[in-house]
Amino acid sequence: MNKKLLRRDRIGLLIEGVIKDGVFIAPSISERQVVYGPVKEASEITFDYIIPRNSFKDFLFPQTEPVARFKAEKDAVLLEEVKPRPKETVIFGVRPCDAASRASLRSVFTWDFKDEFYTKREERALVITIACTKGDDACFCATVGISPEGSAGSDILLRETEAGDFTVEKVTGKGGSFIDAHPHVFEDSVSGCALKEIFNPEPIGGVNLEKIKEWLKEKNHYENPLWAELSRKCVGCGACTFVCPTCHCFDIIDEGTYASGERRKNWDACQFEYFTLHASGHNPRDTQYKRWRNRFMCKFNFYPEKFKSIGCVGCGRCVRVCPVRLDITEVMAEISGQPGQGGS
Amino acid sequence: MAAEHDLKKKAKELLTKGEVKVVIGFGWNRAGTRTTPVFITRPEDTDRLVFNPLCVNNLSLYLTRKFKDIQALGRPAIVAKGCDIKCIAVLISEGQLKREGVYIIGMTCEGVVYRQELWAGMNPCTRIPEDIMPTKCHNCDVRNPHISDVTIGEKSIFTPPEKPAGMVFDRIKEIDRMGAGERWDFWMEHFSRCIKCYACRQVCPLCYCERCITEKNMPQWIETSAHPRGNLSWNLTRAMHLVGRCTFCGECERACPVNIPLNLINQKMTLIVKDAFNHSPGYSTEVHPPMIVFSPEDKEDFIK
Repeated sequence: MNKKLLRRDRIGLLIEGVIKDGVFIAPSISERQVVYGPVKEASEITFDYIIPRNSFKDFLFPQTEPVARFKAEKDAVLLEEVKPRPKETVIFGVRPCDAASRASLRSVFTWDFKDEFYTKREERALVITIACTKGDDACFCATVGISPEGSAGSDILLRETEAGDFTVEKVTGKGGSFIDAHPHVFEDSVSGCALKEIFNPEPIGGVNLEKIKEWLKEKNHYENPLWAELSRKCVGCGACTFVCPTCHCFDIIDEGTYASGERRKNWDACQFEYFTLHASGHNPRDTQYKRWRNRFMCKFNFYPEKFKSIGCVGCGRCVRVCPVRLDITEVMAEISGQPGQGGS
Repeated sequence: MAAEHDLKKKAKELLTKGEVKVVIGFGWNRAGTRTTPVFITRPEDTDRLVFNPLCVNNLSLYLTRKFKDIQALGRPAIVAKGCDIKCIAVLISEGQLKREGVYIIGMTCEGVVYRQELWAGMNPCTRIPEDIMPTKCHNCDVRNPHISDVTIGEKSIFTPPEKPAGMVFDRIKEIDRMGAGERWDFWMEHFSRCIKCYACRQVCPLCYCERCITEKNMPQWIETSAHPRGNLSWNLTRAMHLVGRCTFCGECERACPVNIPLNLINQKMTLIVKDAFNHSPGYSTEVHPPMIVFSPEDKEDFIK
């Protein structure tokens, strides 16, 4: 395939085509923040952003959705199954870190049970990523081995040119078909274009992923007093998990009246006290440090062990939103510096 | 900075004498770009303490029973600005804390930043520009701490405006002028962004319930789904639970990852309580918030 170019002024045409029977998601400004959300016109899109406030998982694994409905009649309860029927969804302007989280989400939602509420959405989604030309002090993709111009999880990868247009790289067959289906939008590039410089965050000093994995594997480190010390300031909100592109936990709740209602699948957070409360009244994670330890272990131990995939993509959202600046990279550095085998 | 030096000295003295077991204060993050809460338990670590306009957090949160691990450390000293001390006063008046249970290191203050990222890269030793201060600082009448065991820092000579002024109060006036429908739309639009992360509740020193009403599910009082109905009931319920108690520390709005203007709703409530009961929370450790007291002098007849 020839090199293709996407001119910024053609994005409107692209949106027009997509929203005829689908949805076009892109970053736009809402209440002083850049947010991924549905757009109808190119003018709504912002290109001047580091990373949107929300992760793009919102469109594959929504915060709240009905999974069944029920109705009580005189002598029967009627159940109605809810079948996920998502529209074709183009997610535009995704960052490479977010795109990389797609594999992590897929592995958990297809592992022992194929969760159609996720898989159907993912099948109908097309991810168009833009390589990073901006970043901030919370970005740490390089520290977890992800590149700011990486293509993992993307269907199409764009790189911004000095002129503000985009060079187009087909990543998957689906991405290729999409490009071919829009010949009036993706044009042949006649000459090489000067590209904007990629923002490459420095790997965070003192962090060694392998060492973290090894340290976490050691059973007696599970009760290391370090956990309580490092997470003492954690206030136990769910901000970090809800903006995280790989956090995927949910709760099933019934909502409604005696006559009718819905069963809903809602995001849940391992940071909440009631997340692990048993019906017996016992709570295995009864203090905050145990909950914080779980989140860290999930990213750097459970995920790599179970799925051989990464549980943290270095987007930095958890660092940005934390009201007490509990910075996961500081904990990574601290653990990397711990004595290894058997030490405590 | 002289104040910071005095703070470190005082903290060291308190820990060395064993008067307190932990000093809850501010320190730098690893990169030295943001302040973050620190818990100093050893006299030799007191050099980590800092105080500057980036110290926005209201640390009195850590005095509440939500933090059993911190309580287990022993008697705390806390680095507190006047506005933080208002919360401590309410906690004491509500029986959550004994006055002698905490050593208050009151810091004089010339204002803090609304959010730390607004002052990224600037020298924290310089005076903070007024336009990045939150409304609470423009109206602050406790720049010299009103309750403390020791006060550190240069005396402030700031005089707050007679009537609350600034962005939050201007916007409240705007909302008051709206019709009911418009006001409903305004709030529904803001609440629709809520992601139910409960950061507002978790950073609030006065949200200290061990089981929040939203976690009571037999029956479910508040729908936990982040749909418009669930979001409205959560945000309004929390606002109602703070009526006559909220001290305008602004932590809920600062912590909100989706920028819901929570100060507007809480300060509207504060204005109503001031008007109806002539009560402003946080100035005394003795006076109870009006919503939890019975008074024979109550102007309402139905209660007698």
